[in-house]
Amino acid sequence: MSKYSVIGKRVHRVDGPEKVTGSAKYTFDIVLHNMLYGKILRSPYPHARIVNIDTSQAERLIGVKAVVTGKDTLGRKQSTWRRFPELCDEEILCRTKVRYIGDPVAAVAAIDEDTAEEALDLIEVEYELLPAVFDPMEAIKEEAPQIHEGVELNINVTRHIEWGDVDEAFKQCDYIREDHFKCSSQAHVCMETHCAVASFGYDSKLTIWTSTQSSYYIQALVADMLGLREGDVRVIKPHTGGGFGSKFELDSAQFCASLLSMKLCQPVKIVLSREEEFTATKRRTPMYYSVKLGAKKDGTMLAKEVRVITEGGAYTGMGATALYLTGFFSSFPYKYPNYRYDGYRAYTNTAPASAMRGFGAPQSTFVGESQIDMLAEDLGIDPIEIRRKNGMTPDYEVPGQAHIQSCGLHQCLDKIDEHIKERGELPPNRGIGVSAYGFMSGGIFNWFDTPYAFSAAIVRINIDGKVDLFTGACDIGQGSDTTLSMICAEELGVHLDDIRIHAADTGICPADLGAWGSRETLMNGNAVKMAAADAKRQLLEFAAAKLGANIVYDMDIKDQWVHMVDRPERGLSYFDIVKDTIRGRDGETIIGRGHYTPHRKGMISPAYSFGVQAAEVEVDTETGKYKLINVTTAHESGTVINPVGIEGQLEGAVMMAGGYGFCEDQPMDEGKILNPSIADYKLIRSLDMPETKILEVDTYEPEGPFGAKEAGEGLTNPTAGAIGNAVYKAVGVRINDLPITPEKVLKALKEKKQQAE
Amino acid sequence: MIRDFEYLTPKTLEEALTLLDKYGDECKVIAGGQSLLILMKQGLVAPEYLIDIKGITELNYIKSDAKEGLRIGALTPHRAIEKSPVVRNGFAVLAEMENRLASIQTRNWGTIGGNLCHGDPAGDPAPVLIALNANLKMASLKGERTTAIEDFFLDYFETALEPGELLTEIQVPVVPPHTGTVYIKFNVIESDLATVGVAVSITLGSSEGICQDVRIALGAAASTPVRAKQAEAVLRGKKITDNLLREAGQIASTEAEPISDIYASEEYRRELVKVLVKRVSREALARAKQA
Amino acid sequence: MKKELRFTVNGQPYELYIKPKTILVEVLRAHLGLTGTKRGCDSSSCGACTVILNGMAVKSCSVLALQANGGEVLTVEGLAKGNELHPLQKAFLDHGAFQCGFCTSGMLMSSKALLDENPNPTKEQIKEGIDGNICRCTGYNSIIRALTGVVKGEYKEEK
Ligand SMILES: Cc1cc2nc3c(=O)[nH]c(=O)nc-3n(C[C@H](O)[C@H](O)[C@H](O)COP(=O)(O)OP(=O)(O)OC[C@H]3O[C@@H](n4cnc5c(N)ncnc54)[C@H](O)[C@@H]3O)c2cc1C
Ligand code: FES
Ligand code: FES
Repeated sequence: MSKYSVIGKRVHRVDGPEKVTGSAKYTFDIVLHNMLYGKILRSPYPHARIVNIDTSQAERLIGVKAVVTGKDTLGRKQSTWRRFPELCDEEILCRTKVRYIGDPVAAVAAIDEDTAEEALDLIEVEYELLPAVFDPMEAIKEEAPQIHEGVELNINVTRHIEWGDVDEAFKQCDYIREDHFKCSSQAHVCMETHCAVASFGYDSKLTIWTSTQSSYYIQALVADMLGLREGDVRVIKPHTGGGFGSKFELDSAQFCASLLSMKLCQPVKIVLSREEEFTATKRRTPMYYSVKLGAKKDGTMLAKEVRVITEGGAYTGMGATALYLTGFFSSFPYKYPNYRYDGYRAYTNTAPASAMRGFGAPQSTFVGESQIDMLAEDLGIDPIEIRRKNGMTPDYEVPGQAHIQSCGLHQCLDKIDEHIKERGELPPNRGIGVSAYGFMSGGIFNWFDTPYAFSAAIVRINIDGKVDLFTGACDIGQGSDTTLSMICAEELGVHLDDIRIHAADTGICPADLGAWGSRETLMNGNAVKMAAADAKRQLLEFAAAKLGANIVYDMDIKDQWVHMVDRPERGLSYFDIVKDTIRGRDGETIIGRGHYTPHRKGMISPAYSFGVQAAEVEVDTETGKYKLINVTTAHESGTVINPVGIEGQLEGAVMMAGGYGFCEDQPMDEGKILNPSIADYKLIRSLDMPETKILEVDTYEPEGPFGAKEAGEGLTNPTAGAIGNAVYKAVGVRINDLPITPEKVLKALKEKKQQAE
Repeated sequence: MIRDFEYLTPKTLEEALTLLDKYGDECKVIAGGQSLLILMKQGLVAPEYLIDIKGITELNYIKSDAKEGLRIGALTPHRAIEKSPVVRNGFAVLAEMENRLASIQTRNWGTIGGNLCHGDPAGDPAPVLIALNANLKMASLKGERTTAIEDFFLDYFETALEPGELLTEIQVPVVPPHTGTVYIKFNVIESDLATVGVAVSITLGSSEGICQDVRIALGAAASTPVRAKQAEAVLRGKKITDNLLREAGQIASTEAEPISDIYASEEYRRELVKVLVKRVSREALARAKQA
Repeated sequence: MKKELRFTVNGQPYELYIKPKTILVEVLRAHLGLTGTKRGCDSSSCGACTVILNGMAVKSCSVLALQANGGEVLTVEGLAKGNELHPLQKAFLDHGAFQCGFCTSGMLMSSKALLDENPNPTKEQIKEGIDGNICRCTGYNSIIRALTGVVKGEYKEEK
């Protein structure tokens, strides 16, 4: 018998049959009796004082049921950084001031969407325009307009990370280089836009169905904003059409639908349009990097000093976390003995910049991996070699920050080295660039100030042996329902189809922080494993008694067979034991409970995954256009629970992170996003998609369930850097600002030619 | 949000022209709606009457004969042109162009006439049809008229169609012997609208590969699809060499009047014109030699 | 002002009265309750709304419902026969050709239209066939593998 009977197998997703038949219901599909449709009026100005809002005409329009503005709210401000009141800066419905183009000022509920939209045109908002600032470098100047009261120089958050003696170390370096980079914005482009159906009843209880990455956060934040008890707010996440970091903050659809529903005691549905999705939901944080890197002649990197200023946009959101993580991951995946990071997040009058898959790590990895290649070239060292020399290893302590247990970086480097050698001599204008990366398996941060465990799960075994798994984990497409069901089945010793998962419904599931920071597999996986083990223990107690097993024997369940570990033929059917246990306990339900919060695991994460990626491009030197030919990744994420899931995460990341490197951008003019449609926002499509190859590397993470760790966000880290390095290898030009467009490549090629002449 | 409208479905060209005449400014014609509906959803176009001509089967055809050349009804869907054996045999460049236009879904429902009447300077069919020396036939209650396609485009999204007029037919003359026509569009994402598109048709004379005639058309390089006549002059009557091709590209890039937008700067577009005119001409020449 | 729309959807004839401005996707979703067809952009760019109309893949967010008058529409709900999944659906399951699933209905319909027209597409033709459909989750390659599996005859339709 193989070690595992469920995990590691290529299984169908538990939500698969519904999704391939179109029967899976998303929030977007929900229609309730007596339901109204809502629309949100948004500011056309980047910075203005609201002098007056006249809703009377809109209210008179036939079919309009209610209009709400900031005056109808409790006037509270919120963010997911609840622990820090000064960072709770977003009212959602602005009362006195708007701070970006798209800031909500009013919302309407009407009998249909067209009527609601018509009503928006009838709301008259008198604005007094204020000077606005869009560039973070400008925003931090004395003369810049102040965006939030009391926030000097528009500096929203600062972050400092330091270890070793950086100044002294630079003195010992043989070689130092300093470079500047610009990392662009990026839109999540979830295929399901933000949406919510809120239903407040005459029983004073609110139920919200919403497309979210964290039903618990939404429950807590809505309750607070509307003055309700948390327990009176039930948030249910139906199937969700993507998240990528955009859906774990309270959004305007959720808040406005709830407010309108409370006013009317009728269900209200709000679906953001694609244009709103692009302009008025959050986005990847643009960052300006200045980096000083020092090394010995032999390539040993001694010191790194990083200064980052980020364009924060109008509100904090999760931008504070992005600022922190970009600083921490700027040291990844290398052993810098001396390191200093200073990050500044500036408020600007642009759409709030926040979390997107990888937080700030795709930015820091692009910067770090570009620069290390430059350094390697300067020192005449092979790019793989320099990474080997400095790369993290198992059981490494990031001074004062983090403890890394499992780490397969060096195996990944070996695999990619082999891959590059196999590719052999390349034709002209082709190049392979490498990029190494690491990422966390869930954050050990509690800025949300939750009193609950970070993850929790309940397992209930029914009389027929069917298992109900209750968890707050949010499957937004990444497949956590499947992975957690697999973990549950494995631990309990039953089959995958014995499990029925009930997830992300705060009415019946224990609180869980949700799907962000790549935390579900490890944190929720541990909680589920613990809950399943708890339930199993209850069964084994009975089985042991029934079998009359010697006390020294271990009992276990595998493949629905309850048995003695050392004498597997001696056992009983799982189904019989379930019945016996329930009967023997006066009919008491078998319930297993599990929870997980990382303790004593440093400041960042309980575990880290690593990988190395190689991108191959071919550049057309006359136009600057390049083709992504192949992206090969050696990734290690501990024990692979769900191999199909990991492949999907990896290939999907190449599309998204390749897009970040290649074509995705959000150009603005005076705070206005100029490409708010899928026609204008360029996304990699099937014809543009490179070949993808995965090279497996085995590791085992002691902190993870069955040795597993993350394989989600980390995969978005390497690609932009790998592409940049590949373009350099191919034609010798380096682009330091994302995205690396054909136009920039051509311009650089011309400059290079001119310099040569 | 689309404003309400009265919906009319003429079954013949005659009926359609009558309705068009009757409702004048208050009406709008819809063919496949692939471009129009987006404008209507944005509220940029809000007609009182929408005249749906997609069902007029008499304008959906592809015909070809040895004397007249190719005739395409304005309501022929892109995909029909792409798949048509007649087009593929005699006018392969049209099928190739269609194969890279938008997505299959849009090509299935959108029509060639709608594409031309929409007047997007980045549209693909126009440069190809200009290179092929096509004419457009229009009809109104007053009668029919025909114009060279290069005279059809007046400005961004503005065409020579008069009120009450419909585009009815695209006429592509017989391709002379020893002619090669090629179209290449440059874009970052494969199936996207062109950042710049270039179509070139070269006809070689019977004696020693002299370029007897050449037509160079540029898309997304000015406010309308345009011919690069000075660049043509560089090649016409000469034996084409790499140097001449480079020169033609250079001249075309000064003839073009592109704009800067979020996809590309003016400068970059000129550069693309320069490179593409050279490349496309070279390929057209190769084709002409084989033809 | 409302107009009659007669058409069949998944083999079932319907007669409806609708405002002429109604878009096909809204008729399918709101009037007929066939919510398998999604809307991702509403501007003909993402393909999530793809259905098959008279044998052709179209973006149902960009077709006036009345233009389907007299026509035949096939949506994702019409793919399976009873509880027997269509070969494409089985292949999508085996290859994990979806994650969030929001693009999946449209992907399946584009795939079906492709294979109906050309049962033996090359890899490049498969890519072309789904190029009008955006998937933000999978990176397409698993979808291409699923289609390749169907093309190779690994998923026979039950007779
Ligand atoms: C996502 C997307 C991508 C696209 N990509 C490309 C591309 O890569 N290359 C490209 O060239 N095009 C592209 N297009 C444009 C597409 O080709 C056109 O939208 C389509 O061909 C228009 O045809 P239609 O029949 O749908 O026209 P409609 O939208 O119905 O009409 C367009 C305009 O023409 C008028 N009109 C239509 N027919 C006639 C007629 N016979 N006489 C007079 N006026 C008429 C209408 O009143 C309207 O003003 C794209 C469109 C979309 C939506
Ligand atoms: S919703 Fe129709 S193409 Fe996006
Ligand atoms: S599966 Fe999520 S968009 Fe395709």
